[in-house]
Amino acid sequence: MLGYLARRLAMTIPTLLLVAISVFALVRLIPGDPVQVMLGDSADPVQAMQLRAELGLDQPIPLQFMHWIAKLATGDFGHSITNNLAVLPLILDRFQISAIIVLVAVAAAACIAVPAGLIAAWKQNSLLDLSVVGGATLLLSIPSFWLGLLLLLLFGLKLKWLPVVGYVPFSENFWQATTFILLPIATLTMVEIGVLTRMARAASIEVLRLEYVTHARAKGVPEWLVLGRHVLPNAFAPTWTLIGLVLGHLLGGIAVIETVFTLPGLGRLLVDSIFARDYPVVQGCLLFTAMIYVVVNLIVDLCYPLFDPRVTVA
Amino acid sequence: MTRRPQSSPAWAVGLAGLALLAMQGMAGAETLLRTRLNADIRSTDPGTNRDANTDGVIAHIVEGLVAFRDDTSIGPMLAESWTVSNEGKTYTFHLRQGVKFHNGATMTADDVLWSLKRWLDPATQWRCLSEFSASGIARIEKTEAPDPQTVAITLDQPTALFLPTLARPDCGQTAIIHRDSIGPDGKWIAPVGTGPFKLGEWKRGQYVDVLRFDGYASRAEPRTGYSGAKIVKVDRVRFNVIPDSSAAKAGLLSGALDVIMSLSIPDLEELKSRSDVQLSITPALGLTGILFQTRDPLLKDVRIRRAIALSIDTAQIVDAVMQGTARPNNSALPLGSPFHSEAQSHGYVQNMAEAKKLLVEAGYRGQPIKMITNKRYSFVFDSAVLVQAMAQAVGINIELEVLDWAAQLDRYNRGDYQAMAFVYSARLDPSLSFEMLAGPKATQPRKVWDNPEAQEMLRKSMMIDDTAKRQALFDEMHRRFIADVPMIVLFNGAELTALHKNIKGYAGWLYPQPRFWGVTVE
Repeated sequence: MLGYLARRLAMTIPTLLLVAISVFALVRLIPGDPVQVMLGDSADPVQAMQLRAELGLDQPIPLQFMHWIAKLATGDFGHSITNNLAVLPLILDRFQISAIIVLVAVAAAACIAVPAGLIAAWKQNSLLDLSVVGGATLLLSIPSFWLGLLLLLLFGLKLKWLPVVGYVPFSENFWQATTFILLPIATLTMVEIGVLTRMARAASIEVLRLEYVTHARAKGVPEWLVLGRHVLPNAFAPTWTLIGLVLGHLLGGIAVIETVFTLPGLGRLLVDSIFARDYPVVQGCLLFTAMIYVVVNLIVDLCYPLFDPRVTVA
Repeated sequence: MTRRPQSSPAWAVGLAGLALLAMQGMAGAETLLRTRLNADIRSTDPGTNRDANTDGVIAHIVEGLVAFRDDTSIGPMLAESWTVSNEGKTYTFHLRQGVKFHNGATMTADDVLWSLKRWLDPATQWRCLSEFSASGIARIEKTEAPDPQTVAITLDQPTALFLPTLARPDCGQTAIIHRDSIGPDGKWIAPVGTGPFKLGEWKRGQYVDVLRFDGYASRAEPRTGYSGAKIVKVDRVRFNVIPDSSAAKAGLLSGALDVIMSLSIPDLEELKSRSDVQLSITPALGLTGILFQTRDPLLKDVRIRRAIALSIDTAQIVDAVMQGTARPNNSALPLGSPFHSEAQSHGYVQNMAEAKKLLVEAGYRGQPIKMITNKRYSFVFDSAVLVQAMAQAVGINIELEVLDWAAQLDRYNRGDYQAMAFVYSARLDPSLSFEMLAGPKATQPRKVWDNPEAQEMLRKSMMIDDTAKRQALFDEMHRRFIADVPMIVLFNGAELTALHKNIKGYAGWLYPQPRFWGVTVE
């Protein structure tokens, strides 16, 4: 187990190095630079040159990369060009917000989607199945920003139950913080329910067709036990993989949700930094996202033996 | 979540004890005004690491010797008055008595000298330092304080732009700050200024609070621009960082925000029908127009540029894009400028026959003209679409290329475009309005109007202080600008602000940033 873990962790180093090189190159391929954005339409060429020199942007790109990577090796992600804040603490601070929303939303979506998919598969081709599939497809098709705005209109403007703008950290006031993240969580949960339900249903249908299910039924095992003990554990593995992918994808930033609900999360930090061409922050965010992907997938892989006894970690 | 403070039980007045309690209650209730920023401020150091949002917030906290008035003329702020001597090269400022910094210290000439020295130190990275270098408007040769209430600044040459530059919001109004603003290591801590508000909490990415400064000594004249009286009637103003405009609008309608600025035209239409919302529509100084690359093989022919200008109906474009909130203007000088004379109102009149004739003369055969635009500013995009459609009517083939703002700025700065729908930020002096357009393309590729005679007139307008002579120069420059067609100015835009009905005393002005002094929450 430990050997496997060490091997997997060692494999992440070349992956992250490749990501670092591509991120660094891609960010610099985008036209426009931070100095022009900071100085706007009144950029004085001398002033722009001075600022570029102060930020080290006048150096050759390979040299800039070497500086960045050397600092990265010591855990220093650099400083933001726009506000001079250290990038890593900034990312971690923003990541907390995104992580809470994503983890709660995906957990809630999984708790609803897996039983729904299982039941739909069990009652395949019935009205119930049709409703579940229809509902899931509808949720899958709704853009998250539109759903978010609808919820804002209903609960924020019409009913006035929940606040519309702002954010309070959990460290300051737990209940107020909860009121601010309820709607984003609800939006994300609804969107993800669509994906997960369809996956859970498809996996369950496959398992329900297997002989051991027929065998279990034939020997008189109650239906709830067939579903709970024989179908669910076997059908859950593919859904679990998908949950891992969804988590990795969402933890990298839920920019749209964060923008609609004015949450200062990682996704919004990334988008704002791209518009401002804040190279160190964009690079830091993308590299951090890649690391999250790697870690989440590793955790998912390590959890497989828990759901599927045929899989062993060696 | 921040809630609006409840009004105290003032109705209980009548019984002495209850009245006392009510008064205590009133003393404890804080008046809060909540507004919105579309992006966080960059820093609290005026005129250094800044953008328009930063300037707008900082203008509540610091002040300079002089400031812009409502009509963009220069008025006194921390200076009571000034005299100009030595052939226009020495400015002697007489400071106001009894002005306090936020730390309680009284402002003296020594503080002014210290602040100026700091701005002129390259290590400060003051945005406007280059204006006072050899390539700028004038060099500052000497600053001295003959007495604790007087400061004299001597320049190497006379310039009409000295006071406007000192007052520029993007220069941080050349703020006079207390030396406590920086630490022993010379690093910036926080602004200890003389403004009507002092800096409260700045929670990055979330909000900036400014708190009423009780020791503020207001000027006696009425509020005008960033000059005049600044009487604060709220305890705290919170600038919430809300990038999404729909969320900001929802915040206003739900009561979580009191004031939102920079509304788009569709927002305005929707908010007009709300009984609980009032609107403030103010002409702005920004300039929206179509830029031409006069070195482009096709567009170097002035006949083609003029044909495009004659094919469009500026008034119709402005009406469609701005829904009656702005007026057409083909002049580089904004409509609100005191120098926008009758001569400046002569622009392009739509003439399709003439446009077609010019195209035939120029031998134009439908070659595509790429016009860059962006969606960050919807009015710029809409203008581009309408210009494209109108030009098509005379057979001009314009293709639109939509870029993000940073990419467009890059192309603008390199002069790498055929045509471009663009918006310039506000310039508060007429010379600066022309300066942003006129210049040699060989050394400054971003300049759109490369006409040596116009540049000479511009240089003269910066040197002389005589209003009539400056006016004559600007009028002549406008005539040549229209004849050369390096760009088509369309309109100056409008600053659209929505406020709750209980907000009183708010007034926009030509500069597109809010002022929360003189504003009450009822």
